[in-house]
Amino acid sequence: MSVDGLAPRQRLAAYAGVARVQLRTQLVYRGDFLFRLLGLLVNIYMLRLVWDAVYPASGTATGNGGHRIALATQIAYVTLALVQNWLLNSGGMGFIPQRVREGTVAVDLARPVRFPSQMVWAQAGAVAAQLPFTVVALPFALLVGGARPPASVGAAFGYLLSLLPAVLISLLLTTLVQMVAFWTLETSGIFVIHRFVQQFLAGALVPLWFMPGWLRVLAEWMPFQATTYAPVAVYLGQAGVWATLGVQLLWCAVLLMLLRLMWWRALRRVVVQGG
Amino acid sequence: MPTPKPIIQVEGLAKEFRRPKRIEGPFGGIRTLFTRQYVSKLAVDGIDFTVDEGELIGYLGPNGAGKSTTIKILTGILQPTQGSVEVAGVVPWKERERNARNIGVVFGQRTQLWWDLPLRDSLELIGKLYGVERDRHRANIERFTELLGLAAFIDTPVRQLSLGQRMRGDLAAAMLPEPRILYLDEPTIGLDVVAKERIRAFIATLNKDEGTTVILTTHDLDDVEKLCRRIVLIDGGKVLYDGSVEKLKARYAPRRRLVVQLAEGARWRGVAMPGVEEAPPEEDAEPGTVALLFDPETAASAEVIAAVLADHQVTDLSIVEPELEGVVHRIYAAREAVA
Repeated sequence: MSVDGLAPRQRLAAYAGVARVQLRTQLVYRGDFLFRLLGLLVNIYMLRLVWDAVYPASGTATGNGGHRIALATQIAYVTLALVQNWLLNSGGMGFIPQRVREGTVAVDLARPVRFPSQMVWAQAGAVAAQLPFTVVALPFALLVGGARPPASVGAAFGYLLSLLPAVLISLLLTTLVQMVAFWTLETSGIFVIHRFVQQFLAGALVPLWFMPGWLRVLAEWMPFQATTYAPVAVYLGQAGVWATLGVQLLWCAVLLMLLRLMWWRALRRVVVQGG
Repeated sequence: MPTPKPIIQVEGLAKEFRRPKRIEGPFGGIRTLFTRQYVSKLAVDGIDFTVDEGELIGYLGPNGAGKSTTIKILTGILQPTQGSVEVAGVVPWKERERNARNIGVVFGQRTQLWWDLPLRDSLELIGKLYGVERDRHRANIERFTELLGLAAFIDTPVRQLSLGQRMRGDLAAAMLPEPRILYLDEPTIGLDVVAKERIRAFIATLNKDEGTTVILTTHDLDDVEKLCRRIVLIDGGKVLYDGSVEKLKARYAPRRRLVVQLAEGARWRGVAMPGVEEAPPEEDAEPGTVALLFDPETAASAEVIAAVLADHQVTDLSIVEPELEGVVHRIYAAREAVA
């Protein structure tokens, strides 16, 4: 009698279960929500003050591509981008490092499902847990910041569509960076760097259209912008729907491959802490 | 009838750990990151053994002997440096996920349960992770809830459980997918006597009724004496002994102890028999007790007792078998003396 691995349908059920358990775990700590919301609102309000102050009196500024960006568009961008970035990065970076440090990876590795997939799905659950909070936070954010309707019906659909790959790219990036824990057991320094780079290159603070030429090129060639800048730019009619989706899907594929490669290397390095 | 193939085969297993050499002095931490020098340690150094389906073996050794490393290799978590392993026809680290469906693991020092959620949530997720059919899983949860007495705390978050309750939960989680092999890595560590007894009874039941093959590592030799017929003893990454508990005792502590309680006022005159000698008196011995040591191979118990009774007035007699604890203690001590 020999046993095979799980069938694809069983695998999906297993991963959905992992996500669900993580979602429920996050809800145990929902008391933290008010403070996180406060942080988000302060962040949006301060950026709004800055853009109000630096904008020309005419109310429009010229972006990097030569097109004019109205102040209201700029503030709507900042608001939406920050809320989105807040949601995507709400899971924190501690998930894998903690499991490596405590040796609980041993438990994950003794399961009949893939380790990187378990990690990605668990974090998907953590992000899903934040969805209702984001819905609550959004009206406050719009009040403190500002809102604009989507550029067109197509832009609205394009925005919703591009959110899906944005979430996946964000999950893959978070997992990839956390995997560093297999090499260096101490990771907090790396995460501080990641947080700044991520937030900046994602366009959460400054949209890519206001970045100087070389920086914009750099940001465009990095995956971070596909998580935050790209969907919001589609919403405001500053980027084409199909081109954006194409780039996002490409990043999904590249990052998935990178995660496989990294895990293949990490597996040879597995040192399980403790007896 | 041909003998069935062993369910676990381990041959020439070795595992070497390498870690970068720590550099002391200024910026030592950063220099350590870039060093090319390594310190290596052989945690497992050529281990062979086989386990037949349905066996319950104790896998023993002092701290750092290589027990946990072996278990991690058998579960597919670690890749060995050398040697071959087959568990139920699967090479664990090559097909980790397939191997995982054949085995259950309990690590006494960490839990596989989800800390913040009720125990029930963990048990339910296990069914999905192992692809167990839903009705069957539900029936299994019911069965193990009864066997392990989980009903009182199955809806309590795991972090609020006592260690004994958590361990019962972990055992249920490991056994829910009905694995053929169960690895228990110190399952009774830190538990009180009652909790230990309960866990032992459960392990014995599994092995007897379900035919689950059990590999038990522990420092509690009571566990071993009560559960295992066979033990594999390792130290320094090598197998020191592989066989039955009785043979181990016979080899390392062949002599039995006869404790004699003399009647009041009676005087000890000694027993003149080859192979029988008086044991040095123990500190907490009651007055009027004498202990004799003898090897049942050369002097039969009945003859020794007869010789004592012929010359003395005695109120009580008892024969004490050597305890595994003492035996293992002597083996470890002897190894340390050599090293």
